[in-house]
Amino acid sequence: MALLGQTVICGLLLGGMYALIAIGMTLIMGVMKIINLAHGSLVMVGMYVTYVCYRTWGLDPYLGMLVAMPVLFVLGCVIQHFLINRLLEVESILPENQVLLTVGISLVLTEIIRFIFKSDYRSITTPYTGEALLVGGMSVSIAMAIGFVIAMVFTYLLHLFLTRTDLGCAIRATAQDREAAQYMGVDARRVTVITFGLGSALAAAGGSLLLPLFYLWPDIGHLFTAKAFIITILGGMGSTTGALLGGLTLGVAESLGATYIGMGYKDVVGLVIFLLVLLFLPHGLRSLVKR
Amino acid sequence: MRKKYWLWVLLVGLAIGGLLVAGCAAKGPQTVKVGVILPLTGSEAMFGAMEKNSFLMAYEELKAAGKTNIKGKEIELLFEDDQGKQDVAKAAAEKLVNQDKVVMLSGGYTSSCTKVIAGSAQSMGIPFLIVTGSADDITKSGWQWVFRGTAAPASKYTGALWDMMEKVIKPQRVALIFENTDFGTSSAKAFRKACEDRGIKLVFDQAYEHGALDFKPMLANMKQTNPDVVFAVSYVMDAAMIVKQMKELDLNTNLVIGGGAGYTMPEFRQNAGDASEYVASVSLWVPNVAWPGAKEYFEKYKQKYGSEPDYHGAQAYATMYIIADVLNRAQDLTPEGIRKALKETNLTTIMGPIKFEDWEGFTNQSRPTTYVVQWLKGKLEVVWPENVASAKYVFPVPKWKERG
Repeated sequence: MALLGQTVICGLLLGGMYALIAIGMTLIMGVMKIINLAHGSLVMVGMYVTYVCYRTWGLDPYLGMLVAMPVLFVLGCVIQHFLINRLLEVESILPENQVLLTVGISLVLTEIIRFIFKSDYRSITTPYTGEALLVGGMSVSIAMAIGFVIAMVFTYLLHLFLTRTDLGCAIRATAQDREAAQYMGVDARRVTVITFGLGSALAAAGGSLLLPLFYLWPDIGHLFTAKAFIITILGGMGSTTGALLGGLTLGVAESLGATYIGMGYKDVVGLVIFLLVLLFLPHGLRSLVKR
Repeated sequence: MRKKYWLWVLLVGLAIGGLLVAGCAAKGPQTVKVGVILPLTGSEAMFGAMEKNSFLMAYEELKAAGKTNIKGKEIELLFEDDQGKQDVAKAAAEKLVNQDKVVMLSGGYTSSCTKVIAGSAQSMGIPFLIVTGSADDITKSGWQWVFRGTAAPASKYTGALWDMMEKVIKPQRVALIFENTDFGTSSAKAFRKACEDRGIKLVFDQAYEHGALDFKPMLANMKQTNPDVVFAVSYVMDAAMIVKQMKELDLNTNLVIGGGAGYTMPEFRQNAGDASEYVASVSLWVPNVAWPGAKEYFEKYKQKYGSEPDYHGAQAYATMYIIADVLNRAQDLTPEGIRKALKETNLTTIMGPIKFEDWEGFTNQSRPTTYVVQWLKGKLEVVWPENVASAKYVFPVPKWKERG
């Protein structure tokens, strides 16, 4: 019983942080209708910003996050404004050339970071790294618990922002129907720029929360792109609640797989779920509700 | 018109080729050429560069001591890149022998490349002194031109550990975890067999995917089997994550032993912090081993190149010393003369004593000295064999909660 509890706790806590990263991706996907394959690289850049803050000023990663988020917001806006929006305007042979562009952006970001920081593994040690609460034979990592709570707070704040503010409504309107929103006076260009910035900032937040738990190297982005992609498909594109549920599901599924099938098959579990969802629930978890 | 064009190309080509040949020939007689094949680009490049630097550093020292001058001729090192690929390694070996006319070959980082180079050297009748490649079958093929001094056969890596297991650790319930790569699974296979032979019970045996974020499900599972010793084969960052999470789970054992690789690197200590304390590992070399020159090599390398070398660098450094020793002793600088001199080698290097012998089916294989090391007060100390130990081992290690 303790084993099952331990597994589920680990999965839920990790899943919460996956969800935060995936929400950034799902937001961009909803509004832009493109898969942002540079998302993991944005997480990586955010982690490096937090890392630099820690190394230079000794800033705790949870405070460093407050630096990384604005930096990534600006970076996201710049990428959207100067790169992706330009491609949306031109007719091209390839219908999905924005997706290819995001792959390019991801490569450029990774190599710039490699150029500055080399391929070395880096990590930070905080007073709470490696600390854990033991509850009835189950261990709860402090850093993971804090990360989970912050991730949930951000998710809730984002939900409020999308439902209660004008800008949030404009984002949702653009996601539903870009042209109709434009007829209603929504500046779609501006909305896409802000959405991309917001998605990037959330990616940075997710990365910063993982930094005290994990380690950092320039190619770490692919890992997060893959996870966020699976979660986005699982939760249905463009749905915040879906991404949250998707993240938690993936986290728990991976954990259960690692405990009861074998650690070597951890990634297989995630990918099998991905395939099953594509085959039987093409609209993600939402199709369960509709039935 | 077209014909003329081709004629020109041919002429120019011949002229350049002729110059090159003439240049090489003119340079030839004054030096004794030694070919060194290492992965200088590709995914193994980091280690290839470390070995090349170590070769050059040893060469400079030998030169200063006047040992690179063989009967009026200077030793010249010719480095070739194998990119970690077998076909490139073969081409490099043939080029060095046929074009550059080297008197002997050295190098060999990955086992697969080393094997190809060894095969070529054997068929061409050129002595080949291996630096790192450690698969058993390379020196088990009966190839008399192939010598392995600084590298232990893979199956003998854990020699010192089993000695210590029998005398000190005496494990009852062993847990085995390993990354699901070639290196991990083959190390695990050897370990599993060694346990079977000694009748030691393996209570937990699981592979994991390299680069995982969370090892706790696996470790929690392991905790339930209540092992007294854990043997883990991991790369450096996984190693750090595993011991950190063992601490989080309050998973106490008498000893955690790493199967080399990750558990001995400075990055492991940096990333795992306190959790790395008392972790033991098998190792081929550590800077503070008792062989003369080891510590000096480490310090000098660190100062010169700004990074810490590991045993790969030490292997290359020691190999350069063997090469100089052999060439100085060789009666004549023909392949046969050098082979004879290699066979008579008896030299103590920073990797320990080197003597090429035939034993247990191996040919020209130096008997390896392996160690058990342990992190004590933040430093990697040799704890076994006891005659070269730099510190007394701690066993069984204190429980997580009892540590200050």
